[in-house]
Amino acid sequence: MTQETRIIESTWDLTAYQFKIEADALSLFVKGLKDRKILGRKCGTCGTVYVPGPTYCRKCLIDIDQVVEVSQEGRLDAFTVSLADVRGKAVDNPFISCTVKLDGSDSFLMGVLEGWTDWRSVKEGMRVKVVWKDVTQGALADLSHFQLI
Amino acid sequence: MNERVAVVGYKQTKHTIDSPVARERMVYELVKSLYHDMGITKDDIDTFVLASNDFTDGRTISEVFTVPRIGAYMKDETKVEADGLNAALYAYMRILTGLYNTALVIGFSMAGSEFRVPLTQSYTMDPAYERPRGIINFYSTAALQAGAYMKKYKFTDEDLAQLTLKNIRNANNNPFAARKDPGASVEKILGSRPLYLPLREAHVSTYADGACAVVLSSKKTAKKFTDKPVWIDGVGHFMDTYYVGDRDLLAMEHLTAAAKKAYKMAGIKNPKKEIDLAEIHTNFASEEPVLTEALGLFKPGSGKDVVKSGASAITGTLPVNPSGGPLGANPVNATGLIRLAEASAQLRKEAGQNQIKGAKTAVVHAQDGPGAQLNTVFIVRR
Ligand SMILES: [Zn+2]
Repeated sequence: MTQETRIIESTWDLTAYQFKIEADALSLFVKGLKDRKILGRKCGTCGTVYVPGPTYCRKCLIDIDQVVEVSQEGRLDAFTVSLADVRGKAVDNPFISCTVKLDGSDSFLMGVLEGWTDWRSVKEGMRVKVVWKDVTQGALADLSHFQLI
Repeated sequence: MNERVAVVGYKQTKHTIDSPVARERMVYELVKSLYHDMGITKDDIDTFVLASNDFTDGRTISEVFTVPRIGAYMKDETKVEADGLNAALYAYMRILTGLYNTALVIGFSMAGSEFRVPLTQSYTMDPAYERPRGIINFYSTAALQAGAYMKKYKFTDEDLAQLTLKNIRNANNNPFAARKDPGASVEKILGSRPLYLPLREAHVSTYADGACAVVLSSKKTAKKFTDKPVWIDGVGHFMDTYYVGDRDLLAMEHLTAAAKKAYKMAGIKNPKKEIDLAEIHTNFASEEPVLTEALGLFKPGSGKDVVKSGASAITGTLPVNPSGGPLGANPVNATGLIRLAEASAQLRKEAGQNQIKGAKTAVVHAQDGPGAQLNTVFIVRR
């Protein structure tokens, strides 16, 4: 026995990525974004407001179709300061990723938080508002970021 | 501890090669209508076991979209990365523990429209010996097995075409099958596009989008759900070695061992006489004689006689795949669970045009891996 391991080199050639998703929740949400509105769906039975809003309630296991607009202001629920990238390499400009619960919504939206100078002063529970891109075109990126109020 | 477990409800989608709805809507509609048919809600289910495969679903943790859609939100739930009949085996064992009385088992797939099954399966082959050379894959393994059987037992291309035709005709009468070919004939099958000879396109199962759900219950609670329980009286689950070069593709000793264990558990001494029908998981038509013989349903090498006598037809002495089997629809991961649903339909006299008269005992089979490397066997009774 002279070798303990050996590397086999070969290719991993899968075709292009395709994934069929149920369109309703995303379509309603991005349509709202184009008009600078945050739209979701509400369950008439348990009252849960989902943003983005699927066409069913996972708690009641029923179809739901009541479209609701929620506030563009809300509460900073949780955040993380990104000081490194996914490979562990330090980043030059640290940024904050956060989850926000907009008023009237039972879901959380994720985004980047701005309006701070020292991240040590950012606290959960702070009020934030939605900031839009200058031009909205019906894409997730229309919601530029959340801003501390 | 629970002692006996039954299928108390089942339902499958109409399988198709390009589902108009996404997987999450597919399982949602299916499970909701099953609950509705049974007059139950998600709260009647103690544990949920899903069958899906990260690799063939195109993403990891492949049940995330479907868990809330079947009513498992905030409930006891797990996933089996294998065929749905294995998920049923896990659910059966969970119920046997006595910790649960009911289970929902579901398998789903987008094998028709999204992932290219043979290509994806090629990446499950041995990375050192089989993958780099690209010679051995699921098709070629089946073709090697088919060729060996045909040569050894003088099973001709015409016999194989006849066997294929039997399944296509059964599928034509199955409202859930994806493949509909009323004009099928031996000549057309013999003339279909050659893939890995002796295998041709017509011999290949129909990769499909679809799902199947089954509700299992302990004996204690079964009466609450149905007056037609289908009892799972025997199970067996064996596998052969991974490297194809180390396997005797004709012998299928692992399937014979799994079947023997299941028969023994169910108290079956002579399967040829005591089994009324078989629903088996064939990825290729040529696997039918190999698998049914390993299951002890027909004499070794009798494939030609079985075809000629029509013994495995719906009107025969031991019908095999009266549903048309996977040649009619192969939504990978749901395929074996569909065999359980189809067998249950037969035993409950709910099989429509393909109903076999007086069927009381069935053998159900599922496979995974190239050339049926892993096999699961259920014996079910009314
Ligand atoms: Zn609800």
